Amino acid sequence: MDMLLSSPTFVFIQVLNSISLGMNLFIIAAGLSLIFGVLRVINFAHGVFYMFGAYIMYTVAQDLELGFVTGVIAAAAGLAVIAIVVERGLFQWLYGKEHLMQLLLTFAIVLIMGDLAKIIWGTDQLSVSYPDGMSGALNLGITFYPTYRLMLAVIGPVIFIGLFLLIERTRWGRLTRAATQDMEMLSALGINVPVIYVTIFLIGAALAGVGGALAAPINSPTPGMDATIIVECFVIVIIGGLGSLWGTFVGALIYGFVFNFGSVIVPNWQDVFAFLLLMVVLLIRPWGLFGKPEREGH
Amino acid sequence: MGSILRTTVVAAALVAAGASVVQAEIRIGVLYPIAGTGAVYGTPAMHGHNMGVDEVNAAGGILGQKVVTFARDTKLKPAAAAAAAKELITKEDVQILIGGLSSAVGLAISEVARQEGIVYIATIPKTIQMTTKKLHKYVFRTASHTDFEGDAIGQLVKKLGKKSVCDIQLDYAYGHDLAAGIEKGLAKHAPDAKKVIDLRSKLGATDYNAQITQILGSGCDVVTSGLWGSHFVNFAQQAGPFGLFDKVTYISGGEIASHEIAGKMGKDYPKNVISNTYELWYDHSFPGHKKFQADLAKRSGKKETAMWPVLAYIGVKFVAAAAEKAGSMDADKLSAALEGMSIDTPVGKRTIDPKTHQADAGQFWGPMVKKDGVDYRVMSPVTFFPAKLD
Repeated sequence: MDMLLSSPTFVFIQVLNSISLGMNLFIIAAGLSLIFGVLRVINFAHGVFYMFGAYIMYTVAQDLELGFVTGVIAAAAGLAVIAIVVERGLFQWLYGKEHLMQLLLTFAIVLIMGDLAKIIWGTDQLSVSYPDGMSGALNLGITFYPTYRLMLAVIGPVIFIGLFLLIERTRWGRLTRAATQDMEMLSALGINVPVIYVTIFLIGAALAGVGGALAAPINSPTPGMDATIIVECFVIVIIGGLGSLWGTFVGALIYGFVFNFGSVIVPNWQDVFAFLLLMVVLLIRPWGLFGKPEREGH
Repeated sequence: MGSILRTTVVAAALVAAGASVVQAEIRIGVLYPIAGTGAVYGTPAMHGHNMGVDEVNAAGGILGQKVVTFARDTKLKPAAAAAAAKELITKEDVQILIGGLSSAVGLAISEVARQEGIVYIATIPKTIQMTTKKLHKYVFRTASHTDFEGDAIGQLVKKLGKKSVCDIQLDYAYGHDLAAGIEKGLAKHAPDAKKVIDLRSKLGATDYNAQITQILGSGCDVVTSGLWGSHFVNFAQQAGPFGLFDKVTYISGGEIASHEIAGKMGKDYPKNVISNTYELWYDHSFPGHKKFQADLAKRSGKKETAMWPVLAYIGVKFVAAAAEKAGSMDADKLSAALEGMSIDTPVGKRTIDPKTHQADAGQFWGPMVKKDGVDYRVMSPVTFFPAKLD
């Protein structure tokens, strides 16, 4: 606390900490939000997708030594394959059914994939090295800051802009948005809605995989890592508005700042502030800062 | 009529036979986290437990009866552990409980043991409360505890001549108790050392940047800690680029010197770390360790074995020794037998204090250094800190 008041450099570092944490979380939460936005599925398995991304990174980059970038690509590809299997094999039968059924299904996937991870990778806490040239810190003039964290802070916005352009500025994006409005009408117009659905699910899962792969050097791949991340992601998307890309981006930043400055100001209460904010949002604006109220009869 | 009577007699005989079959075995309830985050420890602990049970059975069992294990997953949650302990006692008729991992879980099992009047041997939980404030007739601990750890850390701070201390702990029973243990250790051994900052992270925390930058901003020359397992891996990976390990010595409890951490982190394991472990696969200071390690290696299929098995193994050996001494599995007799009992283990002799029910579980402490031709850090020199607070 004293350091916050006395040292501008310290404040600056905390700002960077907040942004890099927020951006790492954004990559993962964006997938969750995207899947909900179009498919209307609250995907509890998103955390376990993230965990698989981290584990795949371990196998590719650490174990097989094929390089960091290959690890990220493999994580995205691996999760894309899993997504196709899960969406075509399971989810497609549940669209339009009760939310409870979908929740139970995603929860079953969490348990099955959690056990699978243990069978494949064991139960040890693993560790992934930083990519070459990124294990140090960069001189920013007023202070040094870890290079890898800075990279995360840049990748987040790049993904945000990419997703934004895809959904807001392409024909395919317009179809996707139309699918959220009226899927039957879209079908009647001769659009292949199932392809839209599986693609969205695939992009969402791949984002979780990439997020996990990128988190692996700072976040040891270990059983149970899915449980922590899914809570953080839900806090972010609920604050920002489930289904809203802007909301997820802003929500992730808010979470980063609240978590970091909360940890500094009241060290023993680091989680409380984010959850307090969540409660306030739920009470005053349950659809989130950037979300839209759910219409009846959707 | 006669046939009905005969059937009844036969049925009664069968029931009696069934009951006697049930009683012809020693039923041990064992509680470790087998799934989720805690599986990192629970799985190797089960290896050690099963190895202990197999050895006991190969030597003729306990009181001439075969030992059978009933294992339950604590899920690292006190409520789940308490429910599982109750279920083991009421449904499986276990005669003793062993295990526990995480201080909160240990305290929860201990409470069930007290209510149900059954002996519980805590093999891993380290909170001091278990053998002080929350001590009762049926709870025994064969693990170390937070005051021993804190005392060793105090001695090391003194030895290195460090003057300002940053303490970072996990925000639950173990972290709080270790912080208190370190305070006592510092007051006793290094009264000149000043605590500069106290930091707490939640159990399961993954982001430590806020804490790392506070440590660096506070200018301390030593960090004391108890971040264990993946908490330490995450902290170290995140603190490395900030140059934290160039600036401070990191003295930690939580057994991060164990090979399961050092081996998995490999070249990423930071420098300037001094920590503890109950056992090192490459250190044969005590007689019997070589054979124990070789057997364990065969069982786990790895030359470089983990540290957790020895704790579970010691728990089983205490049960066997106590039952033989008591001549029964009766809880009161077992409790009496365990008080003051000594056994030889692969990591030295262990004696249970009759008053506190705490075993003198010493630990190995030392700096983690690089060694030629080995791609992970090893402890060298290895120093055994006996569990004594005088």
